[in-house]
Amino acid sequence: MNEKKIIELKNVAKSYDGEIILDHINLDVHEKEFMTLLGPSGCGKTTTLRIIAGFVTPDTGDVVFEGTKINDVPAYKRHVNTVFQKYALFPHLNVYENIAFALRLNKVSEEEIYNRVEEMLAMVNLRGFEKKDVNLLSGGQQQRVAIARALINKPKVLLLDEPLGALDLKLRKDMQNELKNIQRKTGITFIYVTHDQEEALSMSDTVVVMADGKIQQIGSPTDIYNEPENAFVADFIGESNIIDGIMLDDYKAKFSGQIFDCLDKGFNKNEAVDVVIRPEDVDVVSPEKGMLQGVVDSVTFKGVHYEIIVTINNFKWMIQSTDYVAPNQKIGLFIEPDAIHIMKKSEYSNMFGDYSSFSDELEALSDVEALEEEE
Amino acid sequence: MKKTRNIYTALVFIFLYMPIFVLILYSFNSSNSTSTFEGFSLKWYRELFSDSATLDALKNTLILAILSALISTVIGTMAAYGINKMQNKYVKGSVMSVTKIPMMNPEIVTGISMMLLFVFVGVMLGGKSSLGFGTVLIAHVTFNLPYVILSVMPKFKQMDKSLPEAALDLGCTPIQSFFKVELPQILPGIISGLIMAFTLSLDDFVISYFTIGSGFETLPIRIYSMTKKRVTPDMYALSTLIFVSILILLLVSNLVSDKNKEKMSKQAKKITKIVLSSVFAVIAVITLIVFIASAGKETVTVNVYNWGEYISDGSEDTYNTNLEFEKYYEEKLKAQGKDVDVRVNYTTYASNEDLYAKLKSGAGGYDIIIPSDYMIERLKADGLIQQLDLSKIPNFDNIEEQFRNPFYDKDPNEKYTVMYTYGVIGIIYNKDKLAPADLEKIENGEAGWELLWDEKYKGQILQFNNARDAFGTAMYALGIDVNNATDEDWQNAYNKLLMQKPLVQSYVMDEIYNKMESGEATLAAYYAGDCLSMIANNESLGFFYPKNENGEYVTNIFADAMCIPKDAQNVEHAYEYINFMLSPEAARANAEYIYYASPNSVVINNEDYIDYLGEDYDLIYDPDFNNLITANGEEITYIEYMFNTYAYRDLSDESRAKLNSLWEGLKVDSASFGSGIYIICAVILVLLIGFIVYKYIERRRHRRLYWNNAAQPKVVVSRNDFNSTAMYDAVKAELEATKENEKK
Repeated sequence: MNEKKIIELKNVAKSYDGEIILDHINLDVHEKEFMTLLGPSGCGKTTTLRIIAGFVTPDTGDVVFEGTKINDVPAYKRHVNTVFQKYALFPHLNVYENIAFALRLNKVSEEEIYNRVEEMLAMVNLRGFEKKDVNLLSGGQQQRVAIARALINKPKVLLLDEPLGALDLKLRKDMQNELKNIQRKTGITFIYVTHDQEEALSMSDTVVVMADGKIQQIGSPTDIYNEPENAFVADFIGESNIIDGIMLDDYKAKFSGQIFDCLDKGFNKNEAVDVVIRPEDVDVVSPEKGMLQGVVDSVTFKGVHYEIIVTINNFKWMIQSTDYVAPNQKIGLFIEPDAIHIMKKSEYSNMFGDYSSFSDELEALSDVEALEEEE
Repeated sequence: MKKTRNIYTALVFIFLYMPIFVLILYSFNSSNSTSTFEGFSLKWYRELFSDSATLDALKNTLILAILSALISTVIGTMAAYGINKMQNKYVKGSVMSVTKIPMMNPEIVTGISMMLLFVFVGVMLGGKSSLGFGTVLIAHVTFNLPYVILSVMPKFKQMDKSLPEAALDLGCTPIQSFFKVELPQILPGIISGLIMAFTLSLDDFVISYFTIGSGFETLPIRIYSMTKKRVTPDMYALSTLIFVSILILLLVSNLVSDKNKEKMSKQAKKITKIVLSSVFAVIAVITLIVFIASAGKETVTVNVYNWGEYISDGSEDTYNTNLEFEKYYEEKLKAQGKDVDVRVNYTTYASNEDLYAKLKSGAGGYDIIIPSDYMIERLKADGLIQQLDLSKIPNFDNIEEQFRNPFYDKDPNEKYTVMYTYGVIGIIYNKDKLAPADLEKIENGEAGWELLWDEKYKGQILQFNNARDAFGTAMYALGIDVNNATDEDWQNAYNKLLMQKPLVQSYVMDEIYNKMESGEATLAAYYAGDCLSMIANNESLGFFYPKNENGEYVTNIFADAMCIPKDAQNVEHAYEYINFMLSPEAARANAEYIYYASPNSVVINNEDYIDYLGEDYDLIYDPDFNNLITANGEEITYIEYMFNTYAYRDLSDESRAKLNSLWEGLKVDSASFGSGIYIICAVILVLLIGFIVYKYIERRRHRRLYWNNAAQPKVVVSRNDFNSTAMYDAVKAELEATKENEKK
């Protein structure tokens, strides 16, 4: 990855009506990077994007673009372009004119406009759609037009505000690939906002996890998944069992009444910590062979695996296993040292990671709510 | 069900469009009768396009409507843009409410308050007359604004909020963003707002009436003021044309507003473009014409304020008084070495009281006004008219001696007025329906007011629908002095009218034409000139002046006279105008057109005029009127005596109040439903309240039932509860069953 910084946010804060939206964040975006701002609704990710685009002025802090402070540069003079959540195509213009809009403003010759629009249309696979009315296009097609329109000016940075949120699952997967390809081909820096962790992990070079107006963790998708910095990140990215534990010594952690070997070190002796164990990293064995024993609460078939809720010492664990176990059956759990990840205690400790109130349905419901709020 | 629905729809349409259909039909009538259709003709359309005053008013109305619509659309759109951008919900809400208030406000309140403001500001700025085109324009823009804002606002709300951001993002400045992106989205709202403002401004009467100045008249005001005579059928033609234009406008606006709902075909887009560009072209041309007209030579303007239909205006190939004056005066000034344009600004009012209100408010600027006798007394007392310098009106000598010093302007050395016309109230009757005995009486000159109280003609008598004239008939019949009536006299006159009420078909003014000409009514008292017009349309009608038992004419006589208001702008030109009106040609043309009596000797003695009137001459100028009689030791003509005795004087405030309250009493009673209407209203109100209360109770009962029944299943389910419910057991059972199956 190119190490040259293209955008820097320095100590940026923003609040509306006394409500803090962004709490002094610092962020560096590098050239040619695909960066994703990930977080639940209301975490400040869209506001961050709008500050970079110039639609929102930060209360304090600086926005730096290629080494120059651009706090006071209006949106229309910034070398960034945006793909809006609902595309914001101009309804009174056809596909060609929508894409050509920025060039017409700059009084580019008709011939060049034609060539560049055609180039863009080829890139987003919309050749032959020039004269179509944008209101009659499907969601995916509108999305492509929006991307073409934003890219025609060859911006240094492209901002994408949940661009795939309104598409159905299959289309979303295709568009993810396509976006990634476009980014590679053009070498333009992408800053991508989403609340879909899977999307974030599969597309990004760098993931920025945000919550409550703060950046929780910045890292590559694998870092974020494997080494979450706190309970919030661990819970938000994938499924996690987060258990209270004590770090007895380097490589020795105690939780659920047992002492485990692990790969973490550098904590104080007997320091209280959060222990993260991913459901897929736990092996189900017979009770005698298990390091922990518990009774199965419920079993749900998920296609690739079964999702098993097990009660151990009053704490409900989630385990993913390809073998079926019956409810009320006593089972043992086997956990390898590299499956254990130790985190320092944080404000999010004890808020997540217990599956006693887990339900797929509830999760889906809260997702819908989150979506609606964003809109 | 479907059938009733269709019938209902048909009924609604009939009620909505029947009047307009009748209007259109009668605009093609070959006669000016309102009762019978006598054949198809385009006469009134021809008439309309030769009536320069009406066309002027139409032009004014269109200019006003287009300008005010354009200005209010621009301002309204900016306002809607601003309001839409407001962050604070409460501020936004209250601004919107404030915007709506002018729509709810009664027009009369808006009109009066605007007039006050304009006059007040005008006085502060030291102007003589502050009302004019500018003030009406401001007023129209003001009342159009809320409508424009309300039709543009929703378009802003419908627009995707991120569109302007997308425009900025792609490099538009905020202004470019508005014109290139936002404007196309809100355009349908702007166009419908523009059209609404245009139509509202086009037919506004009340607000224009109060804020209009001396030099300007709109069509609604012109039509309204045509009440001295009656509304001429060319107005039907004009109304038809306006209706058709509005219809077309409406169709176009529907075309435009459909644009957003449906995809518009290319052709429709083209049509819209053509229509829009032609509208703008028309506006541009009109602006240009106004500009050119206002540039050019220096213009001398004479502002004349007269009754509607009270001057020979060139219609039906008659003499166009104002045009002739302009020509005459231009030449005269040219001879003096002044090359200027002369323009008569001729506007009209509907009643003496309207005129008085206008002058009293200070919203004048008129050079000539033509009020009636009693109003002249009041204007003089209030110092609103100025003394005339007769040396500047040489044609004053044409006025017959007996009309030079009427009661309202008695002093020969201090003249304020020059009589324009006079008239006498007489009784019109239908020869075919009157009893032979009564006809004979009329023939012998013995008939009097009592004929209007004759039981034989029950339901066929018409009475004035105006307090002073109606009470006048009763007072003349009773021999009461109309100008010195005591309380008792008023009461007696009231009783007399009450007695007549069962016999009266209806109380009318203009409708008398229709009712008498069609033979629907038999007897009525009315102004001589109008009576003769009716006789011309129906030969079985006759007319006489009522006498008392001594064989003397006892009836009302009235005069209208030209005056110059105190605050006139061009007194010199006003003298010139008055003098012109007294010249043989103009005076004769007006006498022939108006059909009232002229006080002008060169008219009365003109052979052509006498020929023109024919039999009517002796009816208008009854030879007996010139008989000499002795009154108060002075020898005067009978007509002078009538002026002194029977003409209405300005009433004291007290008497006026008395008259009005008695008249109200008579009229309220006269509405046959009387107290019935109150009972009906009360019953409807009670039923309405009962219905609302019933609905309320019913809803409450439903709600109670609903809650009671819904109470059982409505249990708050918590996660923990769920584990122990039946559902969980069912799932468990199912799982066990599958396990057993597997074992097998």
